[in-house]
Amino acid sequence: MGLLNTLLGRSKPVQSDLDALFALPSASITLQSAAGLVCSGRAGVCFKPPSGQGFEEMQAEVVKLLAMDDASGFHKAEDSYGYHWLVIEDADIEELVTRVHLVNSSLSDSGWGPQLLCSVFGIAPVDSTGTAAAAEPDPDLVPDPTAPMPEPTAGPGHVLASTAYLVYLFKRGTFYPFVPTGHEQRDMEQELKLKSLVADDLTVEPDLDRWFPLWELPVG
Amino acid sequence: MSRARNIPSDRGLTLRMFTTGLMLVLLYGAVIGLLIAFGINYAVVLVFAAIILFVQYWFSDKIALFGMHGKIVTPEQAPQLHGVIDRLCALADMKKPRVAIADTDVPNAFATGRSPNSAVVCATSGLMRRLDESELEAVLSHELSHVAHRDVAVMTIASFLGMVAGMITRIMLWTGLMGGFGGGGRGNNQGGNDNAALVELLVLAVSVVVYAISFLLTMALSRYRELAADRSGALLTGRPSALASALVKVTGEMSRIPTRDLRSSESFNAFYFTPAIAKSGVSLSTLFSTHPTLEKRLAQLATIEAQLGRPS
Repeated sequence: MGLLNTLLGRSKPVQSDLDALFALPSASITLQSAAGLVCSGRAGVCFKPPSGQGFEEMQAEVVKLLAMDDASGFHKAEDSYGYHWLVIEDADIEELVTRVHLVNSSLSDSGWGPQLLCSVFGIAPVDSTGTAAAAEPDPDLVPDPTAPMPEPTAGPGHVLASTAYLVYLFKRGTFYPFVPTGHEQRDMEQELKLKSLVADDLTVEPDLDRWFPLWELPVG
Repeated sequence: MSRARNIPSDRGLTLRMFTTGLMLVLLYGAVIGLLIAFGINYAVVLVFAAIILFVQYWFSDKIALFGMHGKIVTPEQAPQLHGVIDRLCALADMKKPRVAIADTDVPNAFATGRSPNSAVVCATSGLMRRLDESELEAVLSHELSHVAHRDVAVMTIASFLGMVAGMITRIMLWTGLMGGFGGGGRGNNQGGNDNAALVELLVLAVSVVVYAISFLLTMALSRYRELAADRSGALLTGRPSALASALVKVTGEMSRIPTRDLRSSESFNAFYFTPAIAKSGVSLSTLFSTHPTLEKRLAQLATIEAQLGRPS
């Protein structure tokens, strides 16, 4: 098929492995016990909106599906690259993953898989759950000593100063950590640490070239 | 292969491309058969052409970048361009090519490199200045489609025969002009070489014909590859109209720029967004051009736009 596609100059849409998303809750437990990090309760699904009525209708349907549950909130956002985001909020990680899976699968099942770019899950230090968006990037990685720590951390440097993200690449079915530290700066060291923490639970993207930065994430 | 989005694949385009490719292969076979029948006099030419093309193919990225004065840029130097390409590559599930910028006012972009692993996508500063974000994205996704379709490899192979025929024609003409047919380079025994002269004239005639046919076929194949890249690029971003408006903008600017300045960028093994040489609008010229006409490209994009617009 590969040679034929080359000869005929066409590319084939990729089939994604959405089940990989369900590994997140166990990764989240690992992160909490090893580094005192929890899911920030927010996740975003990023897609490229194509022109035309077909996608609009499908998107409206997905939004309707999300609105049926009042326990969790969601909103739409747009980034500077012309991609749209559905940002979902739910304090329960299992519930959050289920909803992100719902959005991804309903879009891809109706044939809009090619438009899906990635899904992003926020992770934050245990004490700042839900308010991570406001956190200032702090060069000093030691957390506030007065903050209650449920468990001893595995070591210094495993605790983040600000929000980090786990990015799920829809086309690859893999995850990579992303730690932005201010204006178009990322902390590669922290990302690699996070990677080693979650490597047992998640399929981590092996090709570092594909760990692309997502600046100004609308996901808090 | 866009069944997933209820968009039928373009059977006609696939068929035309396949037929063109098949004819090229047949021509290859016929020429090799002829060479064997003649006792392979031109093995040297074949090897020589193969070496030239191999070098062109292997170093296509370096040659094209050097020719266009393109410079590889890091994500820090061009965060916007890298950001767009990062996302497009993740969307298409392909390896990110190197990114280059050529500092010239000619609005164009090209993709080159022997394989997706060594590919380079280059945009000119003139292009980035003139196009808005969605148009630039559309042009880049067209170039990324060239990378994904391995068009450098395909067109290198396709142009091999034409190059060989062209070389044979030239060698024959030179030796013919210098020493007269049948006598050139073989001493001048006058008697009994009428036969040899006939054979050489025949070879000359055949190579001229082969050259002409393979040139036409290669150009046709190139145009189909462009249409295929337009199509894949438009489907990737889901915005055929953005690609269409970029085409209109860039083509308009291209024809206003004097031809002489652009000659230098004519013959590189790279896939430009629009041809750098403005061709006059005679109908015959469409046969000799590497890119389809603007009308044809816009018509295809309009069709895709209509297919996307259909409610599911």
